[in-house]
Amino acid sequence: MTTPRRTGPSPAIVILIAGALSVLAFLGILLLQGPDLAAQLQSVVDSFFPPAAVTEQGREIRNLYDIVFWVGAVIFFLVEGLIIFAVIRYWRRPGKSADLPPQTHGNNLLEVVWTIIPLAIVLALFVISWQTLNTVDARSANPDVSVRAIAARFQWTFEYLKPDGETVEFTQLSPEMVVPVNETIHLKLRSPDVNHAFYVPEFLFKRDVIPGQDNNFDFVADQTGTYRGQCAELCGAQHWAMQFTVRVVERAEYDAWFAEQRAAAQATPAPSASPGAPSGPQIDLAAANIAFDKATLEAPADTPFTINFENNDAGIPHNVEIRDADGVSLFKGEIFNGVDSRLYAIPALPAGDYTFICTVHPNMTGTLSVR
Amino acid sequence: MATTALRPAVPARSALYEWVTTTDHKKIGILYVINSFIFFGIGGLLALGVRAELAFPGLQFVEDSAYNQLFTVHASAMLFLFIIPMLAGFGNYAVPLMIGAPDMAFPRINALSFWMLPLAGIVMMSGFLVQGGAAAAGWTSYPPLAEATYSGQGTDLWIVAVVLIGTSSILGAVNFLVTIFKLRAPGMTLLRMPIFAWTILVTSVLVLFATPVLASGLIMLFIDRNYGGNFFDPATGGIAVLYQNVFWFYSHPAVYIMVLPAMGIISEILPVFSRKPLFGYKAFIFATAAIGALGFSVWAHHMFTTGSVFLPFFSLMTFLIAVPTGVKMFNWIGTMWRGHLTFPTPMIYALGFLTMFLIGGINGAFSASVPVDFALHDTYFVVAHLHYVLFGGSVFAVFAGLFFWFPKMTGRMLDETLGKIQFVIMFIGFNLTFFPMHQLGLAGMPRRIADYSSTAGWNDLNLVATVGSMLIGVAMVPFLVNVLISLRSGKLAGDNPWDANTLEWATTSPPPPYNFDHLPDIRSERPVFDTRHPEAAAH
Amino acid sequence: MSAPTAALTPATHLPDTAAHRKGIGTPVLGMLLFITSEVMFFAGLFAAYFSIRGAAPEWPPVQFEEVLKIFPLVGPATVLLIISSFTGQLGLRSLRRGDRTGFIRFYAITMALGLTFLVMQGIDYAILYSEGMTLDAGTFGTTYYTLTGFHGAHVIGGVIMLGVVLYRGLAGQFSERHYDAPEAALLYWDFVDIVWIVLFTILYVLP
Repeated sequence: MTTPRRTGPSPAIVILIAGALSVLAFLGILLLQGPDLAAQLQSVVDSFFPPAAVTEQGREIRNLYDIVFWVGAVIFFLVEGLIIFAVIRYWRRPGKSADLPPQTHGNNLLEVVWTIIPLAIVLALFVISWQTLNTVDARSANPDVSVRAIAARFQWTFEYLKPDGETVEFTQLSPEMVVPVNETIHLKLRSPDVNHAFYVPEFLFKRDVIPGQDNNFDFVADQTGTYRGQCAELCGAQHWAMQFTVRVVERAEYDAWFAEQRAAAQATPAPSASPGAPSGPQIDLAAANIAFDKATLEAPADTPFTINFENNDAGIPHNVEIRDADGVSLFKGEIFNGVDSRLYAIPALPAGDYTFICTVHPNMTGTLSVR
Repeated sequence: MATTALRPAVPARSALYEWVTTTDHKKIGILYVINSFIFFGIGGLLALGVRAELAFPGLQFVEDSAYNQLFTVHASAMLFLFIIPMLAGFGNYAVPLMIGAPDMAFPRINALSFWMLPLAGIVMMSGFLVQGGAAAAGWTSYPPLAEATYSGQGTDLWIVAVVLIGTSSILGAVNFLVTIFKLRAPGMTLLRMPIFAWTILVTSVLVLFATPVLASGLIMLFIDRNYGGNFFDPATGGIAVLYQNVFWFYSHPAVYIMVLPAMGIISEILPVFSRKPLFGYKAFIFATAAIGALGFSVWAHHMFTTGSVFLPFFSLMTFLIAVPTGVKMFNWIGTMWRGHLTFPTPMIYALGFLTMFLIGGINGAFSASVPVDFALHDTYFVVAHLHYVLFGGSVFAVFAGLFFWFPKMTGRMLDETLGKIQFVIMFIGFNLTFFPMHQLGLAGMPRRIADYSSTAGWNDLNLVATVGSMLIGVAMVPFLVNVLISLRSGKLAGDNPWDANTLEWATTSPPPPYNFDHLPDIRSERPVFDTRHPEAAAH
Repeated sequence: MSAPTAALTPATHLPDTAAHRKGIGTPVLGMLLFITSEVMFFAGLFAAYFSIRGAAPEWPPVQFEEVLKIFPLVGPATVLLIISSFTGQLGLRSLRRGDRTGFIRFYAITMALGLTFLVMQGIDYAILYSEGMTLDAGTFGTTYYTLTGFHGAHVIGGVIMLGVVLYRGLAGQFSERHYDAPEAALLYWDFVDIVWIVLFTILYVLP
C-alpha cells in the first residue's frame, strides 16, 4: 500500500484551527488584565486550581485536588494526543485510491491492557480520596468553639453555643461568623425552611443544611483573615443573596469580641433608638418580604438626619447600611429581627449619590440622594 | 439498481393528514427530530436569557424569581424535551432499518409515544402563564423548596409534563426492546446487530428500570403539594432527602440514557469514514452494558454533601464507571488507527465529540473524589462538566447523526461548506461558553444564582461565557439555512452516498414505506460493506 | 446492488400464530416488559415507605395502632382477588383448548371479582376516613393511601383491559391459535394480584 501524497491542507486541520483559536481566545481574554505578563500567566495557571486553603481540612483537600488534576491532565494530553496524531497521520484524500486499509476487528490483549491500567488508576485515586475523606470528616471529642449556623430564607445567622453544645450564649444577626485561629470549631447546621448549603470557597468545603437533619462538621482555620461564603443550594428567589463571611482572628481578639456580644445579649433590650441622639429631619423606610419599600431616599446635605426604619419581616434580621460610590461603608445601623423598628442617627453627608443597602441581604438596595 | 416500488393500496390523503396519523417509524422518527429541535431552540433561548443576565453583576433584565424559572425550564426542556426524545427519534428512524425490519413492533404505540411529547412541552411551557410563573426550583425540583409552601402552580404543571414524557419514554423503550428481540431479519444475530442498535437496546433497559422510579418520586411530590401528603415534610415525619434518593436513582441512569445512543451514533460514523470496522465491537457491547449496570449504583454521588449517604461505596462505583468509558474512547481511537480517514461533516462532528467528551469525562472524575466534590459540588465546575458531556458530547453527536442520516431521510445531501462553517462557530462558541466555567466553579461561584457580587472576581469570565453563548446561537443560522436549502435543492444522495456499512444504506433514499425490496445476506455487523467489498468481508 | 437472491418471500415469513411462532409472542413480551416498568414504579413507592417507616419513632403511630383491620373487608377482598387470578387462568386454558364459551365465562368472572375488590376497597377507605385516618394524617396516612391507591388504580387498569379482551372475545377475535391479548391481559392481572399480596403482607400482616 503506497503512502498517500497530500496535495493540500487536510480538512481536519479545520478542527485543529478551531480548537487552537478557542484556546488562544480564551488565554487572550485572561491575559487582558494588565501588562505584567509573568503575573498574568501565573493567574492563568492559578485559575485551574481552587483558592489557597485557609483551614487544615482545606489543605488536605487541596493536596488531593492537585493529584487528581495532574492525573487528569496527563490522561487528557495522552488521549487527545493520540486522537490528533491519528487524524493527521491517517488522513487520506477522498478518491485517492479505492483500496481498503487492513480491516482490523480488534485486539483482545489491548482491551485487557486498557481496562486494567485505568482500573488501577481509579482504584488508587479512590483509596487516596477515602483517606483524605476520613481526615476531613473527622470530629473532635472536645471542640474549642461550638456554633450553630442557621440558614433561613434568605440569610445566615449564627448562634454561639455554650460548651454543652446546645444552650445559646448569644445570636449573631450580622452575617459574619467570628472564630479563633488554630482551634477546632464545631459547626452545626440547621434550617427551619428549605435546603441550603454552607459553602466557603477558601475552605474548599461545603455541607448541605437540610431541614430535619442534624448536619455538622469540624474545621480548624489556620490563617487569620476574612473569607466570603454563600449558600450553595437553591433555596428560592434570593438564593444568590444569602452571603456571609467568616472572620478568623487571634484568640485574644476573639475573646474580646465574644465578651462584648455576650454582654450585649444579656443586657436589657435597648430602647428603640440607636446610640447618639437622633436629630434632624426624619425619613421613613420599611422592609417587608426581603425588600425595602422605597427604591430612592432623599436627604439634605451636610446635616445629620434620622432614618425611621421598620422591619416588618417577622423573625428576619435587617438593617440599613449606607455606602459611598466606591462601596466604602459610611454607616451601618444595628441589625435586628422583625417585627420591630429602630431610629438610626445618620451623620452629616456631603452632597452626592449614595447606596443604601441591607447588610444581611445585598439584594435589598436603593439610592440615597443627598442634596 | 432498478427499484420496483409497490403501488400504495390506499390512496394517499393530504400531507398534513399523513404526518399527523402516521404509524410509519420513519415519519415518526422525523417528527421526533423536528419536535426535539423546536425545544432545543426554546431551551437555547432560555439559556441566552440566563447568560444575558449573568454577563454583568447586577440584575439588569429579569427579577431573581424570574431568573430561577429561566434556568429551571432551560434544563428541563433540554433534558426531557430535546436530548432524550431526539436520540429516541434517531432510534426510531434507524433501528428498524438497521435490523432489516419493516417497522417497529408496535407502530400505533410508537405514534402515541411521539404525540405525548408536544403535549407535554405545551404543559410545561404553560407554566410561564400561570400565577407565580413556571417551575423555578431547578430541573431537580428538591422539596422542601418544591413543596406548595414555596412553589406555585408552575411546579404542578412541570410535574405533569415530566410524568407524561416519562410515560412516552417507557412505551418507547418497550417498543425498541420488542422490536430488537423479535423483528431482526434472518441472519442478524444479536452479535451482528449494528452498535447503534445495541446502544438503543441498553438505553431502553435503563429507561424501563429507571424512569418509573422518577414517576413515583414526582407523584409523591405532587401528593405532598396538592393532597396534604407528608412524604418529604420533616415536620410531620417525612424525610426531605428521601426525594433526592428517589430522584437521582432515575436521574443518574438518565444521563446514560442521554449519552449512550450518542456514543452509538459516533460508533457508526467513525468506521464509515475510517474505512475499517469498529475496533473491539464486542468489547464495546460489554462496555455499554457495564456502563448501564454500574449506572444504577452511583446515584448518591449527586448527594455527597447532604451528610446522609454512604460515601465510600458511591465514590468507588463512580470511579469504576470511568473504566468502561475509557475502553470506549480507546476503541474509537483504535477504529481510526491505521484507517483511511476522510472528513466530511459527520466525521468532523464525531471528532469534536471525542475531544469534548474526553474533557467532560475527566472533569467528571474530579467529583468522584468525595473531598474534591465537597469543594466543587453545586458550583459552576459542575455546570462545565454537564455541558461538556451533554453538549460537547451528545449534541455534537446529534449533529453528526443529522448530517449522516439526512441524506437517507430526505434523499438529498446537506451542504458541506455550511456544515463546516456551523461546526467552527459552534465549536469556538461552545468552548468559550463552558471552559471558563471550570475556573468560575473553582473560584467559588455557586450554581443557580441570579446575580453575583461585583467584588468576587467573577465578572470577566462571565462576560466571556455570555459572548460564547451568543456564538452558539449564531451557529444555528447556517444550520437552519443548510436544512432549508438542502431540502429543496441539495445534491441527490442515492442509496449509499457515504459508502456506509449497515442495512439502512441497502435501500433507497428515502426508503419506501415498507423499507426494503430485498435484503442482502447478513454475515456480520456490516452487511452492506460485505456486499460491496466481498474480498474484505472474510472474518 | 446484486440480483435479489435473498429476497424475502412470504414463505420465509413465519405466520404470527401461537402454534408456529418461535419463542415468546410479541404482545406477551411487550406486556412483560411493561410490567417490569410497573414493578419499578411500585419499587419507588415501597422504597419511600420503608425509608419513612424506618425513620419513624414508632410504627404504626399511636393513634392508628388499631385502625387497619383485616376483617370484615380487606381480608376477604384479598381472597377474592387471589381467586380471580385462578379463574383467569382457567379462562385462558379454556381458550387454548378451543372452549371459547368457557373463556368468556371465566374472564367475566375474573373481571367481576376485580370490580368487587375495588368496591370493597372503596368502602374500606370510607370507613378509615370516618375514623380519622386520612391522606394527610401524617406519613402513615400518606403512605397507606398512596400505596393502596395506586394499586387500586392498576386494578382499574386491569379491569379495563379485561373488559376490552372480553369485548373482543365476544366479537370472536380469539381462538386456540390467537390468544395473545387475553394472555397479555392475564399477565397484567397476575402482576396486579401479586403486588396486592405483597402490599397486604407489608401493611396488614407485618405490623
